[in-house]
Amino acid sequence: MTSMIRRPQLFVPVILLVILLVYPLAASDTKYQQSVLILCFLFAIMASGWNLISGLAGYVSLGHSVYLGIGMYTGAILGKAWGVDPMYLAPLGAAMAAIVAIGIGAIVLRTRSHAFVIITIAVLLSFQLLAANLKQLTGGSEGIIVQAPSWAAEFGNLPYYYIFLAILVLTVTLSAFVMSSRLGAGLVAIRNDEGKAGSIGINTTVYKVTAYALSAIPFGAAGAVYGQYLSFVNPLGAFAILTSVYLVLAALIGGRGTLWGPVIGGFVVAIANEMATNASGGISARVLIMGIVLILTVMFLPAGLLPTLSAVAARRRSRGAAVKFIDQTAIADSSSEVDTSVIAARSQHRSGSGDAILEVRDLVKTFGGVNAVDGVSLTVQRGSITGLIGPNGSGKTTLFNCMTGTFSPTSGRVLLDGRDITGEKVWTRAHDGLGRTFQITRLFKSMTVLDNLVAPLDRTSAGQMVAGRYSGEEVERAREVLTFMGLQEFEKQNTAALSFGQQKLVELAQVLMLRPSIILLDEPASGINPTLIDKLAAVIRKLNEAGTTVLIVEHNIPLVLGLCDTVNVLAGGQILVSGTPQEIRNDPRVIEAYLGPDHMLEVPNA
Amino acid sequence: MQIVQVLAYGILLGGVYALLASGVTLIFGVLDVVNVAQGAFLVFSALFTWQIWDLFGVEPLLLIPVMALLMFGLGWLIYRGMVRRVAPQGPGMTVLLMFGVALTMEGILNLVFGNKFKSVTPPYFTSSFTIGDLVLPMPQLISGVIGMSVLGLMYAYLRLSWAGRALRASAQNPDGAALVGISHVKTSAFAFGIGAATAGVGGVLLAIMYPIYPATQYDWIARLLGVVVLGGFGSIPGAVIGSMILGISEAFANTYLPQWSSLFFYGTILLILLFRPQGIMGTRTREDVA
Repeated sequence: MTSMIRRPQLFVPVILLVILLVYPLAASDTKYQQSVLILCFLFAIMASGWNLISGLAGYVSLGHSVYLGIGMYTGAILGKAWGVDPMYLAPLGAAMAAIVAIGIGAIVLRTRSHAFVIITIAVLLSFQLLAANLKQLTGGSEGIIVQAPSWAAEFGNLPYYYIFLAILVLTVTLSAFVMSSRLGAGLVAIRNDEGKAGSIGINTTVYKVTAYALSAIPFGAAGAVYGQYLSFVNPLGAFAILTSVYLVLAALIGGRGTLWGPVIGGFVVAIANEMATNASGGISARVLIMGIVLILTVMFLPAGLLPTLSAVAARRRSRGAAVKFIDQTAIADSSSEVDTSVIAARSQHRSGSGDAILEVRDLVKTFGGVNAVDGVSLTVQRGSITGLIGPNGSGKTTLFNCMTGTFSPTSGRVLLDGRDITGEKVWTRAHDGLGRTFQITRLFKSMTVLDNLVAPLDRTSAGQMVAGRYSGEEVERAREVLTFMGLQEFEKQNTAALSFGQQKLVELAQVLMLRPSIILLDEPASGINPTLIDKLAAVIRKLNEAGTTVLIVEHNIPLVLGLCDTVNVLAGGQILVSGTPQEIRNDPRVIEAYLGPDHMLEVPNA
Repeated sequence: MQIVQVLAYGILLGGVYALLASGVTLIFGVLDVVNVAQGAFLVFSALFTWQIWDLFGVEPLLLIPVMALLMFGLGWLIYRGMVRRVAPQGPGMTVLLMFGVALTMEGILNLVFGNKFKSVTPPYFTSSFTIGDLVLPMPQLISGVIGMSVLGLMYAYLRLSWAGRALRASAQNPDGAALVGISHVKTSAFAFGIGAATAGVGGVLLAIMYPIYPATQYDWIARLLGVVVLGGFGSIPGAVIGSMILGISEAFANTYLPQWSSLFFYGTILLILLFRPQGIMGTRTREDVA
């Protein structure tokens, strides 16, 4: 018991749950209170479900009550056909909601931010219309009268009370499980930066659709019960946009992305709604009051109650704590002590060096009428450090993005280990051993350095999604990689607190977690201080010695010429020349490409 | 012949939608804000028009400039007072803010006008215009023509004037525009005002076409946002194309398959987004993919 008291995050909910369990039995004449609490449970269930896709992954859905409606209709229709109480069909309602969500999610999750918000509203209204029009099935706009429950009348709403409470407990358990799993970590990564998440091997499509389907399950289960509770199901009630707005408001007030925030918010909104109805006696004033509450919440409490409170608590706790100073020159010095097997490529091709690991054939990429990359063919030899340089606008980054799958080329092929990967997704390339960093670092800013390092995934599987966030050997390896990079001091730092140069090293460490066979570095030296550039060069050499092939796009010519075995010069979207650093240094065409034909100063005759 | 009739009717309807959707898409283009309160603005303007017509019997079309100015002011205030503060928190939060505005306005309108249908019925309400075999209801004809003309003027203004250039500059690169003396806050407030003003004009046009009551705002949110998603966010030509698709499909569905009309439209949206997530005229920006 003492251990529980020391852990309020477990202790408090258990006490509250016991109170809620006992309350209707212990107190007398709680009919009204029960009905209010049932609404509280319902809103808490919905807000928690919504939180899985919209809070964790950041895809704000304004039409999520569609899954409540699907649960209501599933319960009502099947209950009538089979002569069963719809509430016992809650598992079927959940299953139906999940199935529909997978189908719809696969389409709507292709859109992002604004378009996604709107398309979710459109989905909700489509279902409203469907329900009104499929008369044989749904009874049209009059809807379906649901039979009275089969239990004795003296129980009143009590069975509903306990069923809703049970669904709420299951929903919170589900979301606690998701949040502690790698699925949850991946979703937070997607919210932070979806493109980046893909580049470190997170199959964003599968992750998003899974979260979307999971988020629909509590709605479907609650819907089947709610339909019977209301004793009728009709299109306007089942697929109401206001329900969606209220549940979003609930999650917002409590705190998106947290476990308990949506539950707290659900209670707050349900009670506020009840009070508004009582105070005004009509729906008009309720709409007005909820509108004003929504405006005030967005303007003055955007993070929600729970995060705002914990931020205050954290500030109080950290008051007086000094920020640790870390000597930059110490970085990477410890790398020699680390076994390089932690970063060595996963797939070891025994063919040795000399063959092509990455190959680009006749690649063309046009934007509008501009050929940014205009027929480039390029090979990167296994085990080499290859450079790609060229003046601004020569197509380096575009070529780079075509190789990593960020862009799909207009024509031409990209081959990895001799296999055509032109049409492959970004994350599949990451799984196949192609890693990349970004010119402007794209770390997950809301996570610590360690969290950033355990985020990458070398495959997509169900087992991995349900695995705990810090399970497996990843954490241990992440620490070793950090040590290799000389970053062990930063483990618990939030990445937003790091300098740009440090962030670049952390991003490289993150990619190394995938143990890629080839790593593409996009301007690794830009914007970082000269001491760190030396460290970086040392790290790249070590990496290469451990068997990783490196392709660098860089403007720092001395760094490239010092590091690389082969250098390719790009100009006007085409390969101008390829050769050893020595050849490149002396090639007049390269100088001309960089400085233009008139770079020679004309010295006027004296 | 019926087909031509239905087509003409659909185009007129599309003209009104186009004006309204342009307001939404303009606000989005400049501010990155999805104005889900456009429906509420519209209903507000329509009910206001009804009130003045009911009290004084004024020709409702004369109220167009008045409502445009009034809504411009309201939009300007909403931007200055609320949107500007919430904008840094990202698109999801501004959508919710505008939803709050929409609910608040609906609540106020409910209290003031009650939850009953109001219709503005000027003398030409039931008359129609005939060319050959083509019979066009007068209210639709007037609204469609005025809607398209106002949209044309607005588009020309945005293309040709200094203010329009400033808006486009600010939309593409707020920081760069600031460097050459264009204040993002001022242009945004202006764009929000213009967007709301389209709802002011549209409200008058709707008032002579349909009966209005506060909760009809939801139908309009859905229609307008559908149009904007379909056409591509931020693109006025896209909004026009989307509006025409909506108007014509509604006209055809109303004639041949009445109960399926809106569903057909939403189905089209889902289908198009499946293949073009950025909408018909939308461009995929680097941020989308990079």
